[in-house]
Amino acid sequence: MATRRSRLELIFDILLAIQNKGGTIKPTHLMYKSNLSHKLLNNYLDELVMKELVFIQDIIGKKKQKSTKAIVLTDKGLSFLAEFRRMREFTDAFGL
Amino acid sequence: MFTLFSTPNWFNGYDLLFAAVNLVIALLIAGYSWKIYRINKENKFTYFSFAFILIALANIFKLITQGLIYYTPWRAVATRVVGPVVGMAQAGVNYSDLFFRTGFFLSMITMLGAWLLIYFVSQKKSGRLKSYYETSQIGLFIYLIGLISLVSNFKYSVFYLTSTVILGITVLNYYKNYLNTDKNRNAFKVMWSFVLLLIGNIAFIFVFIFESLYAVGEIFTLLGFLLLLYTHHKVTHK
Repeated sequence: MATRRSRLELIFDILLAIQNKGGTIKPTHLMYKSNLSHKLLNNYLDELVMKELVFIQDIIGKKKQKSTKAIVLTDKGLSFLAEFRRMREFTDAFGL
Repeated sequence: MFTLFSTPNWFNGYDLLFAAVNLVIALLIAGYSWKIYRINKENKFTYFSFAFILIALANIFKLITQGLIYYTPWRAVATRVVGPVVGMAQAGVNYSDLFFRTGFFLSMITMLGAWLLIYFVSQKKSGRLKSYYETSQIGLFIYLIGLISLVSNFKYSVFYLTSTVILGITVLNYYKNYLNTDKNRNAFKVMWSFVLLLIGNIAFIFVFIFESLYAVGEIFTLLGFLLLLYTHHKVTHK
């Protein structure tokens, strides 16, 4: 049975999903990639936007030419990803 | 003059240099562990940081105590400072035994405390005791390391034997960690760091047979800390 992810791990998974999509992702795709419910994802997104790890951008859809929202990873978000990877490496190396 | 054990004269000073290096390395690791604690608020990182602060303190006490044994000018300064405080004209001579015993005691108790804390933290969660029992067990271990440090002032090998046992079990924990993390290379390096520290401690036990084993022990201890520093650098500068 999979263990429950901590708050920081959830934030890492969200940011990693955005990074893996080239730095920009639609909310629905993010929900599936990060394996979170709509409500929970919105709660975390509000926090991430407030901490300037991501920002919400309006983009024009390719097919329907309609305005839609996308979540974009900031430089601060990239730094957080790098730092979290270092922390995880330290934790694994020292058996913490 | 108080004597704990004899060390080769040609090595005097080098062990202090090694202790200074070990001190810096311990502080670097303690600092990064504390930084992680400030982010994720998990207590194990505080304990780990505290363990390395204890190692740093042990090296500070060693630097002061052995520095005063090796260097007469340092001893003269210490006597001038301590003399008026204790109120005796011959303070440096009459209280030297007490001073050195205190210095070695503090060095040993902090080092043993550090090894014990690292051993507790390196255990996987299922091996860790639940909170009430953990507190009582820690209380018992604090008493035992205090007692061992006191006895070690009269029979130094007791300290190194105890350290060897704790480090031996810690090496096993880190070997399990290496396997559990899918043979992570950094976990492998940490395991080998503690193997080197263990070998150093074993060498110290037999100093009474062959004095130069003190230098061997110090070199292996330094190598262990240098490998920890290398691992820390690889992890934090990725």
